[in-house]
Amino acid sequence: MEPLDQELDEAELEMPTEPMLLNVGPAHPAMHGTVRCVMELSGEIIEHVDVQVGYLHRGFEKMCERGTWTQVFPYVDRCNYVSPMLNNVGFALACEKMLGITVPERCQWYRMILGELARMSDHLTCDGAMAMELGAFTPFLWMIKAREMIWDLMEEETGARLTHSFGRVGGMASPPTEHLKENARAVVAHILSVVEECEKLLLGNRIFLDRLEGVGIISQEDAVSLGWTGPCLRATGIPYDVRKAHPYLRYDEVEFDVPVGSASDCFDRFMVRLAEIRQSARIIEQSIQRLADSGPVNVDDPRIILPPKEEVYNTIEGTIQHFKIVMEGIKIPAGEVYSYTEGGNGELGFYLVSDGSGTPYRVRIRPPCFLITAGLERVITGQMMADVVPSFGSLNMIGGECDR
Amino acid sequence: MPNFKLDDREIPFEPGETIIRAAQKAGIDIPHYCWHAGLSVAANCRMCLVEIMPPPGRPAMLLDVLSWDTEKQEYIPQKKPKLVPSCQQAAADGMVVKSQTSEHVDTARSAVQELLLLNHPVDCPICDQAGECRLQDYWLEHQGTKKRMRDEPIHKPKAVVFGPTIVYDAERCIVCTRCVRVSEELAKDPVLSVRERGNLNEIVVAPGRQLDHAYTLMTEYVCPVGALTSIDFRFKARVWFLRSARTVCTGCATGCNSFTDFDPRNQHAYRYRPRENLAVNKFWMCDDGMLDHRRIHEGRVLTARVRGEASTIPAALEKAVEVLSKATADSTAVVLSAEHSNEDNFALLLLAKALGFSAVYQSGRPAGPGDDILRHPDKNPNTTGIASLAKASGLKTFAEFVEAIRAGKASTVLALGSATPTGGGAAALSDVKNLVAFSTHEGPFAERARVLFPASSWAEADGTFVNAKGMSQESEKAITPQGDSKPAYRLIAELAAALGKPLGWKKLAELRALMAPPAERSAASESASLGAE
Repeated sequence: MEPLDQELDEAELEMPTEPMLLNVGPAHPAMHGTVRCVMELSGEIIEHVDVQVGYLHRGFEKMCERGTWTQVFPYVDRCNYVSPMLNNVGFALACEKMLGITVPERCQWYRMILGELARMSDHLTCDGAMAMELGAFTPFLWMIKAREMIWDLMEEETGARLTHSFGRVGGMASPPTEHLKENARAVVAHILSVVEECEKLLLGNRIFLDRLEGVGIISQEDAVSLGWTGPCLRATGIPYDVRKAHPYLRYDEVEFDVPVGSASDCFDRFMVRLAEIRQSARIIEQSIQRLADSGPVNVDDPRIILPPKEEVYNTIEGTIQHFKIVMEGIKIPAGEVYSYTEGGNGELGFYLVSDGSGTPYRVRIRPPCFLITAGLERVITGQMMADVVPSFGSLNMIGGECDR
Repeated sequence: MPNFKLDDREIPFEPGETIIRAAQKAGIDIPHYCWHAGLSVAANCRMCLVEIMPPPGRPAMLLDVLSWDTEKQEYIPQKKPKLVPSCQQAAADGMVVKSQTSEHVDTARSAVQELLLLNHPVDCPICDQAGECRLQDYWLEHQGTKKRMRDEPIHKPKAVVFGPTIVYDAERCIVCTRCVRVSEELAKDPVLSVRERGNLNEIVVAPGRQLDHAYTLMTEYVCPVGALTSIDFRFKARVWFLRSARTVCTGCATGCNSFTDFDPRNQHAYRYRPRENLAVNKFWMCDDGMLDHRRIHEGRVLTARVRGEASTIPAALEKAVEVLSKATADSTAVVLSAEHSNEDNFALLLLAKALGFSAVYQSGRPAGPGDDILRHPDKNPNTTGIASLAKASGLKTFAEFVEAIRAGKASTVLALGSATPTGGGAAALSDVKNLVAFSTHEGPFAERARVLFPASSWAEADGTFVNAKGMSQESEKAITPQGDSKPAYRLIAELAAALGKPLGWKKLAELRALMAPPAERSAASESASLGAE
């Protein structure tokens, strides 16, 4: 085991009045993903904690520097793997910002529908898991069943349940399916009913409320100085949402509210996520109404978009276009860009550097989880040992995104 | 120097130079197919068209054209400036040329490109040129539109064998005539010509002939598309997997500059390509040189041997120490090799000096055919190099070496190299009792060596070669040493260390510093002797 951050003589450790050092994780049911917490306990109170991340580090940013820009999509899928579509779209938008192109309107609405569904799946997972960890197993099963419906819809649209790799620079891998609208409406209606039922189950439950209310509080100042974004920041009462503050796609054309909390405790974070599911439902409904039934999804630029297979196999122009994009990659002009979107957990930023070739020179991700996990220490210091479970759960650390 | 303006840049040129060449020297590549800096101007591909602005106060030369209006669905009369081929137009002082900034040029290039692809087959997946093909590059840069023609493309002969080295595909050919001009102007053998006109034209070999002069692979090299392919490289590797090292061809004493293209995944060299050097080979290489890459992998010595039995380098070192420690200076000969780099030979000279052996001879490959284009009769890359390295110790010929063996003055031989210049020499080597050799390839030395060390070839080590003109040129390492082989200078250093006579350098840079350019050294010694007077 690595040396702990406390240097105590063995003689001191044997004294029963001294703080106890307890190592939780990296593989422990209370730890979301693989993260390790070394806690210094005085009785059941956590006096000091050292949070160690990095156990899921895969060198993803470095791997991006090998392939083409398009080949980055499967990697970003595996960052926040609970809402991969948001990562896909975020990365596509960053590349498009560098290229100076905007995708057709139909694609923008399509991206918004899929993205908001992914956000719902993210929040359902987080809230469901939080409830389960506090002993409420039924809401977990219901919420995961609802998430399953989202994933079925994603499978229908993209061909994959979890890691879609569906985004493309300049569009999407394929246009919306014929039944997207009715499927999405059915899924959203079901999710809203599940959310309502779970609220009925949980919000009248004294045990559940006592374990969340007033637990895991962080001040607004701390949250801001740590770089928190997303539901965790909004639970402190700051209404920062990239979709409102710096609208992208067509978020400035839809009506939705930014739910905020006030007490900044675990309960607020739980409630903000539930409220956001309802807001996502509003966005999806409006997007469905605006989504055209026909029209181009991809930009009309042979340097960026692959030609239809029929042309690849039958005309030399199509073959060349395919060859150039696949073998050499899309040529993104030299320069750098920071592009940011609202991910499941907050501001998901991509800082890209291009040297003008078909391969990224540098792909840097700003994962919202990383900065939020950095605040875990402040959130749980001084809490009871048992409060780690709801506190950590409400921060929704996703190992794949935090450690990359 | 006079200047002209290309788009927004001032380009200097020498009087008489064409726009395209001056731009190329300034680092701007005007798209072209048929033009080549080393060939005459054909101006038939029309890809390099540029717009030249009229002199101040003069009207532009305008042509009446009909252009298709998609909205009105009819042709409407318009005027457009007359574009000129930049490969043929000589630059003039103060000329204003528009290339990328002219919409007329853009339209013309797109149209030319579309025309060239009109009958082009869908061959990229099976074409060796894919990945380095101008048609692909320029489609992306200058056309970017889909096929409009709905008719069946014209079909022409495919996989026509032109000769022992070249296969021709008429469907892929854009008839730029570069290959015709290479045969006529470089090889002085006008064996290729163009037949038919328009859609039907194709390249043909003269009746009763084959494409078999000494520079046939240059026709493939200049082909901007995949029409001519080399039988040697055909279907062997995909070019986007290959990496290039800047090397010097070791096929003869000309020392042509080349690229060695190798696959880093399997460390295999697949081809040579000429590297432009106007002082040595201009743009070209001969067939023998182009095919010399095969020797990197064929007939190699890859393990150490003791008395013909496969062994390890440590065991061979032990045996060599045993042999050499008994050797006396008057019965020992040191053989340098004109096949090897200066570094290898210099290391051996240092070892000979440390051991007190003073009889230094040279070996190398036998002479071959030469011409007044590129091929040199001396088939060794470094004859001049070893001559100047061993000037002080009095380099003797291979014939003298054979005599020394016969006279019993060379019972122990420390030799670098693989080949001998004459057949008789190979036989004479049998009389050497103790032959310690550093060889890259199988040959007389490897066959008769008592202790044999596997040396790396030129492609596996950095090295300096001095060509027949006395120009010292560096060749870069391409692939990692094959088998157990190591660069000869390393093996020699290991042997010296095993003999207890370390040579005083550890890195290649230190060895090179000791070696210093011969010119500098001789200049230094001359000035020293003058000072003494």
